[in-house]
Amino acid sequence: MSLSKKSTVIVENLRKKQMREAISAGKRLDERSLDEIRPIEIELDVIKKANGSAWVKLGNTEVVAGVKVETGEPFEGLENSGAMIITAEVLPIASPHIEPGPPDEETIELARVVDRGVRESEMLDLKKLVLVPGKIVYTIFVDCSVINVDGNLLDATSYAVVSALASCKLPVFEIKDDKVVDTGKTQEPPITTLPVSVTTVKIGDYLISDPTTEEEACMDARLTITTNSKGSIVAMQKGLKGSFSMEDVKSIADKAITKGEGIRGKLKGMINIG
Amino acid sequence: MQEVKRKYVIPGDIVAEGNMRPLVNVFKNGNSIVATRIGITESNQDGAKVIPLSGIYFPRANDIVIGKILDHSSLSWSVDINSCFAAHLPAQDIFGRDFSPAHDDMGRQLSTGDVIVARIAIFDRTRDPILTIQDKDLGKIPTGELIKISPTRVPRLIGKRGSMIQTIEKASSTRITIGQNGIIVVSGKDKEGTTLAINAIHMVEVEAHTSNLTQRIKQLLNVPESEIESDAQTNDSNDTTINQDGINSNNNDKEMGMINSNGSK
Repeated sequence: MSLSKKSTVIVENLRKKQMREAISAGKRLDERSLDEIRPIEIELDVIKKANGSAWVKLGNTEVVAGVKVETGEPFEGLENSGAMIITAEVLPIASPHIEPGPPDEETIELARVVDRGVRESEMLDLKKLVLVPGKIVYTIFVDCSVINVDGNLLDATSYAVVSALASCKLPVFEIKDDKVVDTGKTQEPPITTLPVSVTTVKIGDYLISDPTTEEEACMDARLTITTNSKGSIVAMQKGLKGSFSMEDVKSIADKAITKGEGIRGKLKGMINIG
Repeated sequence: MQEVKRKYVIPGDIVAEGNMRPLVNVFKNGNSIVATRIGITESNQDGAKVIPLSGIYFPRANDIVIGKILDHSSLSWSVDINSCFAAHLPAQDIFGRDFSPAHDDMGRQLSTGDVIVARIAIFDRTRDPILTIQDKDLGKIPTGELIKISPTRVPRLIGKRGSMIQTIEKASSTRITIGQNGIIVVSGKDKEGTTLAINAIHMVEVEAHTSNLTQRIKQLLNVPESEIESDAQTNDSNDTTINQDGINSNNNDKEMGMINSNGSK
């Protein structure tokens, strides 16, 4: 969400007033407490032709992520690392406010923030995904499609990507006569940690976790913090014009760590990994 | 009293056979009447129809709707009426015939996010509906709690001649403005009454198709036992005729419109 663009969702003034009154009383319009995350549902292997896939439902927000593994040249300057590319798109069926066509700023930001969380946490040990150093490496594509929008796409997409990557099976490639051969076998991906992002927004003077579309249309500022399995902060993204005080940032960071731990536990249970 | 036959149908199901008149949400195929929506059938001497259980709001002239102002051009406001059509409220409707975009500030009268109760003045399916607020009890709604229900539940919420909505208003001491498009504004003096009314409205939405709903609503609202019993006789007839309000009869709509805008008939 850029500084310049106003949200396309317009919330009725009556509803805004209702929301502010409810929030100041410590409750939200959907009866959640201010820092409560909506229920998360995850289904794995929803796309049979992908190497790994996940469908995530966070409240009413739904995202599907698919992993495809190929081989290719490494990125310049990262010759001894596998390549990973995370993309995201919001489908027009997901919301009446989304139009077909090239991605808008919000969607580009979505892909970048999710990518940053996974990349900076070093969730995948890319160094282990090299076939011929400097020439041939594993290339992992993670493509996400948002199929229903009800706020907090950043977290929902992040959970979908993490679930899809953690549960995927990498094909085993070998080099024979300078050519890449798919052996037909599969291997576990080199997972080192599970990054979890938690988004908190500010409406008036109050901090709210996991906002819905309506709440996002009323927010002044947004902060997404991604933590790794050790509870360390690995990535951050701040959005919109509004500002956070130092105390706000500290409290959001604490929440990102504690709430993140709970969500990580849920993800682990659903993905069935230790 | 004439016999009313009901059954649940999906699009393509045969509603009735024989020489009957197709009313709403059905079409005639040879000798049978076929449903075009998911819903409950109702066939009697007048003909056969389907009362939809789900669906969007389709505008009709003279409907009372509640909309939110999205934006304005130099000549009209564009209004979201919870439909596949965006409605327009002409600036002349408020400023009069001598409206001039150069002198009159439209943003001061109605701005983005304001909620209005309006009547659909013109709609012929070929162009977007035109609204008017030139009528009694129409215009901007300054206060109240806004809730949304499925537009197909609106006739049940109003009830036969406004009985259901009057029961809720009386028991919760609130004033409820209902739009045919499923948007409702509840204004009350205290929070408890408003919450009670909202709970009752949600109950009607979820259980609209079940029988003895009026009785359960009265229990929820703590209407005294004596009143429940005295009304029990009429409950059944209420439940069987609920959706008669939903048919496309203009007389009915006008009547309902007045119920909506006045809060009582």
